[in-house]
Amino acid sequence: MATADEASFSRAADRLGIAQPLLSRRIKTLEEHFGGLLFDRSRRQISATELGVLLLPYARDVLDRAQRLRHVARSARSSRVRAVGVPADCAPAALARAIRAGSEHGITLGMRELSPSERESGLVDGSLGYALVRTAPERAAFRAPLGLATAPEPDAEGSGVARPTVHLEELRPRRGRAVARTAPPPLLLLTEDQVPCFEDRLARAAARAGLPEGRIRPAGPAATALAETLAGRALLLCTEPFARQHGARWTPLADRALHRGYDVRGAPGRSAAEDVPGRLAALLAAAVGATADRHGGPQPGAGDEDVLARLAARG
Amino acid sequence: MSAAAVHRPAYTGDRGALLDVAEAIAADWAALGVHGSFLARNLDTGEQLGFDVDESTPLASVAKVPLALVVLDRVASGELDPAHPVTVDPGTSSVGPTGLAAFRHPATVAVGDLLLLMLSVSDNAAADALLDLVPAAEADARLRAWGCDGLRVRHRMNHLYECAAGAAGNDFSLALELALRDERTGRHTIETLDPAHANAGSASALVELLQRVWRDEIASPPATAELRRLMGLQVFTHRLASELRADTLRWSGKTGTFLHLRHEIGVVEADSGDRVAMAALTRAERRAALAPDIDLAIGVAGRDAFEALRCG
Repeated sequence: MATADEASFSRAADRLGIAQPLLSRRIKTLEEHFGGLLFDRSRRQISATELGVLLLPYARDVLDRAQRLRHVARSARSSRVRAVGVPADCAPAALARAIRAGSEHGITLGMRELSPSERESGLVDGSLGYALVRTAPERAAFRAPLGLATAPEPDAEGSGVARPTVHLEELRPRRGRAVARTAPPPLLLLTEDQVPCFEDRLARAAARAGLPEGRIRPAGPAATALAETLAGRALLLCTEPFARQHGARWTPLADRALHRGYDVRGAPGRSAAEDVPGRLAALLAAAVGATADRHGGPQPGAGDEDVLARLAARG
Repeated sequence: MSAAAVHRPAYTGDRGALLDVAEAIAADWAALGVHGSFLARNLDTGEQLGFDVDESTPLASVAKVPLALVVLDRVASGELDPAHPVTVDPGTSSVGPTGLAAFRHPATVAVGDLLLLMLSVSDNAAADALLDLVPAAEADARLRAWGCDGLRVRHRMNHLYECAAGAAGNDFSLALELALRDERTGRHTIETLDPAHANAGSASALVELLQRVWRDEIASPPATAELRRLMGLQVFTHRLASELRADTLRWSGKTGTFLHLRHEIGVVEADSGDRVAMAALTRAERRAALAPDIDLAIGVAGRDAFEALRCG
């Protein structure tokens, strides 16, 4: 480009700040690459050949693009503000610890509350630098126990016996007890748990536990769902910090395959090890009540062995 | 559920009050994700109530009732000896959770007792041993000759297992998943769930059969009397019988369960003399093998129908 502009090897070499023999060698290499002379060296003032003239605008375009690329890379390096996709209702103090840890590493973190699907897509379209991504708990780096929030009164559910965990089949209404038949309370799902793979897993587990499909419903706004729960008219599926913060009783689900699993991921195209410092990942996970868990519990599934007879006509 | 899944049942009912009961049953079932057909008829007044009574449904083990009648008819006519011994070898017999199908050693049982096992504990191996003596095609032809339109016997009981295992490779959850998906699309991967290829029948055809059996209007009186006796010996009480259990009531029935299908047909007879025949053929959307609330909803339907149809 410079050679064509200046019509001289020496002036072009000056402008580029390289030695003339080096420039000549590079041009020769280009000419070998394209299989033809780019410059007519027969006259005193050199000029571009027909091939050289033809390639000139394309070469200019390539150089412009490379220039822009360098520019974008430089400005991205200099700003270093990274958007982080986190679930709604994170613990603010824990998020603050993550932000501080980021500054210590020279990264400015901006927390953005998003739904699980928005966090996934934000990583893909580049609007997020990092995100807490939902995964199956048995494969996840971090696990947050999910449980049922109930009204604070001891008579809210069951016979008042405090149990360490709750099993889904315990939510079946009791038969044969002489009480007024009221509809059993629905199980409400927060936005954070409206992830297709989780919803399907929960629906399957609930069906196998003898609960009709209609018992599980989207919670809608968290505040009204909590109000229904505190009034004893619903059971809210949530984590312990969320329930405690609002004064609800909370019992974890016994089936660990139904807990929340999280991975902290960086935008694709970078190596995660380099991009997500381990300490930052742990701090982000703590903000959603999750802890590192490499053996996340049993695989979900049919649960029992498939006896041949189950596939036959029965009774 | 999706808008496409909304189904308006076609109700049957001889009085407004009976229609109300039919509608309440359909609504109760729909709330649990259960669809299907139901018909109950007073065997003496002929009054009835129900919905979607002509819908053809795979019968599962309910098909053992028409089969039993055909076998008992042959016994009554002397073509078949009820004492004729049949050896059932677990190595070659049909799959099932009860009776000879669950045996681990060969057993020799008389034809009359194969009938008992087939109807009292829904024994698949006993049913298929009887179908070896009276092939499905012959049983089907006999039903045709009796004018039992809307009732088809096309295959052995083990065919249900073979088709389900063939499609899902012995994975019960997968077979159930396939059955539910196919119910939405109307294309049946498991052939025995397709009314066009299965042992199939409608609620109206089954209630008609029960009425003729209880009124001695089919086969011969010795055959129908024995069928009534054997149906009274059924051990399962979790479905239609569940809300009809009292010393003043007598239930004679036959259940049918396969993947998402939960059926029962039968007759309740009261000390007061009231007799009501009923058929409940259901398909559930639930991905579960056991659903006692659905069984109970079927039982509640049976009781509501009986109390609405009995006289006085």
